[in-house]
Amino acid sequence: MRNIFLIAKREYLERVRTKSFIVMTFLIPALMLGVTVLPTYLMTHGSSEAKHITVVASDKKTADLIQQELSKAREEEKQPAAESPDGLDRPQSANLSVDVDLDTSDKEHATLVEKVQQKQLDGVVFATKEALAARKVAFVTRDVSSFIGNAQVKAGINRAVHLDLLKSKGLSEEEINNALQSVDLETQSPSGAVNPMRMFFTAFTMVMVLYMVVLLYGINVMRAILDEKTSRIMEVMLSIARAKEMMAGKILGVGSVALTQILIWTVVAGVLSSTALIAGAGMLKGILSPTLLIYFAVYFLLGFALYSTMYAAVGAMVNSEQEAQQLQFLVMMPMILSIVLMGSILQAPGSSIAVWASLFPFTSPLIMLVRVAVQPPPAWQIEVSIGLMVATIYGMVLLCSRIYRVGILMYGKKPTLPEIMKWIRYA
Amino acid sequence: MYTIELAQVRKSYGDFIAVNDLSFNIEQGSVFGLLGPNGAGKTSTIRMMIGITAPDSGEVRVFGRPFERKCLENVGYLPEERGLYKKMKMLDQLVFLGELHGMTAPAARQQSIEWCERLEISEKLASKVEELSKGMQQKIQFIAALLHDPDFIIMDEPFAGLDPVNSDLLKNVLLDLKKKGKTILFSTHRMDQVEKLCESICLINRGTSVLQGNLKQVKAQYGKNTVQIQYEGNGNFLQNNPLVQSFRDYGNHVDVQLAKDADPQQLLRAAMEHSRVYKFELMEPPLEQIFIDVVGKTDA
Repeated sequence: MRNIFLIAKREYLERVRTKSFIVMTFLIPALMLGVTVLPTYLMTHGSSEAKHITVVASDKKTADLIQQELSKAREEEKQPAAESPDGLDRPQSANLSVDVDLDTSDKEHATLVEKVQQKQLDGVVFATKEALAARKVAFVTRDVSSFIGNAQVKAGINRAVHLDLLKSKGLSEEEINNALQSVDLETQSPSGAVNPMRMFFTAFTMVMVLYMVVLLYGINVMRAILDEKTSRIMEVMLSIARAKEMMAGKILGVGSVALTQILIWTVVAGVLSSTALIAGAGMLKGILSPTLLIYFAVYFLLGFALYSTMYAAVGAMVNSEQEAQQLQFLVMMPMILSIVLMGSILQAPGSSIAVWASLFPFTSPLIMLVRVAVQPPPAWQIEVSIGLMVATIYGMVLLCSRIYRVGILMYGKKPTLPEIMKWIRYA
Repeated sequence: MYTIELAQVRKSYGDFIAVNDLSFNIEQGSVFGLLGPNGAGKTSTIRMMIGITAPDSGEVRVFGRPFERKCLENVGYLPEERGLYKKMKMLDQLVFLGELHGMTAPAARQQSIEWCERLEISEKLASKVEELSKGMQQKIQFIAALLHDPDFIIMDEPFAGLDPVNSDLLKNVLLDLKKKGKTILFSTHRMDQVEKLCESICLINRGTSVLQGNLKQVKAQYGKNTVQIQYEGNGNFLQNNPLVQSFRDYGNHVDVQLAKDADPQQLLRAAMEHSRVYKFELMEPPLEQIFIDVVGKTDA
């Protein structure tokens, strides 16, 4: 036990003192923001400059109506966006300045398209009588992929068509507005009102942190062992400590470094969210629910123990990082699979695939965490998943420590599968 | 009283028998040479003495008792494959290894500093290992094996890569330790060092012992049948000479092994006829010669 402690202590101190630890402590949250918050932020805030659009219509009345609806859209949306309760901004619509053109000739059509091409115009809506009748309106724009902007144009035209139709039936403006008023859907789970957006972000962020930290530090365990192998200190160490103690010490030491890092993040996130120093603080509050944090800790520890044990075996098997690549990928597979499954599990947290994936020990850390965050599963499932993981970890430790014990003294060529099987059987 | 007793120890890796029913004892307080060509099974044998691997059969006794891990705190091991944590500071590294050997941190620290002073590297205590020269790294490794004042010291090629001044420094340290009653096991194929330091030897080839015993007795077995000649001029007299069984030319001198019952006087006469003789000495065969003969014979 003393040896395990000494080895873990050395590993911990040497790692925490390095520059890369400090860099990672900042880099990973930055990366997290990069993959989660930033794209949405850019998508919703990026297109705020005014866009110039021309509406081509057969008659002045229709053209004016469309112009009015397109220009109005922006004004209406501004209000609710500002007081969005979850602190998350809705996709923001662009400021549109709309011209009207009553020339529906093919020549004018070509000229306008050319203008869009030349960037003199941002878009042209061809709302001719025939097009409207067929409910098929062409919108020529350079930003064909800007679905928010396109949706805005579509909504404006739709509203204009509806208004036109309903007005012609003799309804008053007020009646029409009342009829067109859309319904807000307020999502509630049995345990009370939730914000689906926030829930999604909570689950997503936690899973991504778990994924990154387990992989990153699992690979660190592998590197640490590989390092001892290539620096040939292994033989000195083995003349004092058992292979098992060395493996346990490594995993505990590197794991403590990971925990330290997570602790730093949690504390910093807590401070930032309570003082609301940064934008999106409301989002962080959602993430920091204590129950979830406990589950996060449990599944992190189990996941790390499982994966780092496998990484330790990989480190012992190979002689260089290049050789480790393939094997490393095999170990990563279940984790990647979990990420792939995450989308469908967020959609249907109670589906049978979600249940099975959350019980399967290799995908359990990520998937069960998603389920816990989104829709708490029955307690027995959590118990079974933890039980299965502990059993698997035990088995993996037995298996991998055997590979480790033989592998660390093997230099030269990469072992084949039959050779590894022999190592495992080797007493 | 023996520090190490090996009885019929066997170790195989798959079909390959690395150590084949090897037996020898190392007397307490002696310097013992474990010799053999590359791949003879020296390292495999050492690994079984310190529990890195377990023998398939046979028994290893350390300090008079069957091997147990507790005794490792009293063993110092300098492996042939040197290794240190490259990014770690020298002193931290020594303290870590000392603690693993059961020392307290302050004791390990103090001992490390004293040893570094003795080996003239104390100014580098705060340097990272990767910043040190190879010779200095060797010395640190050497200190790491001795820090906890072990009674049994295993040195696998301790002088490899060291300049003569530093080899001498380390050799004197080892001789000091011997005077204090420590048992030292040398594993090497540098025969000149063995001749200077060892009292008894075990020569192994292909996992079996081919020659063992007290060094003086071993050499006496071979009798004074070797002549060392230093000469200037034509060396042809050595070729096809019925007096000469074999000879090795070292450039500055030649070691000649005489044929059975040959008279060395006749060889001296022949040498004088052809060249100026500066030195002509009848002596016991150098260990190197014995090594080559024995290994050559067992390989044949």
